[in-house]
Amino acid sequence: MTFSRVVRAELRKLTTTKMPWGFLAVLVAISAITASTVVWGTDADGTKGFISTAADQRSLVAFAANAMVIAGLFGAIAVAREYGHGTVIPTFLISPHRQRAVLAQLVAVGVGGAVLGLVGTALTVIGVTIALQTTEFAFMVSFGGVVSVLAAASFTGMAGAVLGAGIGMMVRNTGGAVTGAVVVLIIAPPLIVQLISGASMWIPSALAVTLSGIQPEAAGVESQAGTPAALLVLAAWAAVPAVIGLLSVQRRDVV
Amino acid sequence: MTTVDPNTNKASAQSKTTAAEEFPIEVDHLTKRYGERTVVSDLSFVARPGRVTGFLGPNGSGKSTTMKIALDLASAESGRVTIGGRRYRDLPDPMAIVGAMLESNAFHPGRSGRNHLRVLADAGGIDSARVDELLEYVGLDDAANRRVGAYSLGMRQRLGFAGALLGDPPVLVLDEPANGLDPQGIHEMRDLLRARAAKGHTVLVSSHLLTEVELLADDVVVVNRGQLVASGVMGELQEEAALVRAPEQDRLAVLLADGGVAVERRADALLVRGLSIAEIGQQAFDAGVALHELSQHSGSLEEQFLRWTSDPDGPDAQDSEEGRP
Repeated sequence: MTFSRVVRAELRKLTTTKMPWGFLAVLVAISAITASTVVWGTDADGTKGFISTAADQRSLVAFAANAMVIAGLFGAIAVAREYGHGTVIPTFLISPHRQRAVLAQLVAVGVGGAVLGLVGTALTVIGVTIALQTTEFAFMVSFGGVVSVLAAASFTGMAGAVLGAGIGMMVRNTGGAVTGAVVVLIIAPPLIVQLISGASMWIPSALAVTLSGIQPEAAGVESQAGTPAALLVLAAWAAVPAVIGLLSVQRRDVV
Repeated sequence: MTTVDPNTNKASAQSKTTAAEEFPIEVDHLTKRYGERTVVSDLSFVARPGRVTGFLGPNGSGKSTTMKIALDLASAESGRVTIGGRRYRDLPDPMAIVGAMLESNAFHPGRSGRNHLRVLADAGGIDSARVDELLEYVGLDDAANRRVGAYSLGMRQRLGFAGALLGDPPVLVLDEPANGLDPQGIHEMRDLLRARAAKGHTVLVSSHLLTEVELLADDVVVVNRGQLVASGVMGELQEEAALVRAPEQDRLAVLLADGGVAVERRADALLVRGLSIAEIGQQAFDAGVALHELSQHSGSLEEQFLRWTSDPDGPDAQDSEEGRP
């Protein structure tokens, strides 16, 4: 039994239900909302200052923070439903060494999250580019900037999906896993920032902004982590629940 | 099910196991607890190659738990289960050795039957042609692209069965495989399982359909409250008795019972254990009791099952010892 076979099976699982289409619909909706903002939105002074510079536009199309949350929900649902529907049983029968099956699941879900981040960013860039034609501004983000934003969203999408998958393994209930992902990615970070001074640059949304190459002034923050540190810490945010989930799966009976 | 031969998977992993290799399922002093509750207690038995072994017991008697432990889906407090001398997790390519069907609803309702099998085939490295072959065999080719959530229980059973056969394994572990199947489906499944056993394969089948097990199984293992109450060859466990009809039935019953013979009263007959037909006939003749019928009666599995499992004293009861190996 090769690891790649199990990964392939997990990828087929992800692509043979309607779930990816549901998430694609969410990405299209977010892209449409962003484009609508470009068409109809203004700053407080009535101008379109929020799209007047390349940095502003880059900040607008940066999808990495959204990607992490959306992919987090994707990972949580994708894995928790395996236990809910009992489809994890044939998985463990084919691959009784559970760490291998779980790692394959994490790889597949991570790939899915990266694709969601990539597609979400691409749709947003396309939507904003089209919407800008209704304004006096052209699309000013450089090719390198677009690539950077795409790469950041892919990475945060992957990390979010792995994080969500870890929670799904721990909770094994779709509703509970979604709630857990929302708590970890949306509710807990602001509380952590309030409790621990200096934590603001290490929460997922801030790390996503950093990886997207958005400067502190455009992001409205005083300081940011360096890119390598941001990569490592974001990976740690994903790895901790994934490792806990893996250990819990190892020890539990499948009933 | 149609007449496609499910045992002809040229691309399957069957070739990885030698034809002469045999895989008995050996359950050795297995004990499993959930909290304070012991669901399997010191259970030992062997399901042998070339035989269909029926695994019987009331609901909650530990059958499914035992099967899950055998397949490494659950852990045991003590004891072990081996398949061909190895634990499930140590089998080199489990799908090529063991086909299992444990739950009739272990499917994603939004995934099609074909894609469900393709997922398993991907993981097992099995050619997708085998998927189509098995879908046709279990009669799901027309429904293959429909989502499983729209399948009936019988269709889900057929799909699960196809999944178990995907790797063309020499061992089958099936939990209630006949659930929801129509009579034709049950008949075809029985034929298939018998054919696999005839090839030297090991088949372990749990079922609550006793008449079905009676027709299917060579050997029987019966558990109650997690403990073994009987095991052995089916024919030997179906205890012989004599059926007696007489106009003076009550008088004859008292006469035989006074001699220490077990007499069970039926509506219009007596079931007598412990005496041969000749001995019963002689006693009736000596007492001047006319007989209208005196014949051999093989006890049904259902009768035996109820005796094994309804005893409030549980598996330590005398009857339960009769079939122990």
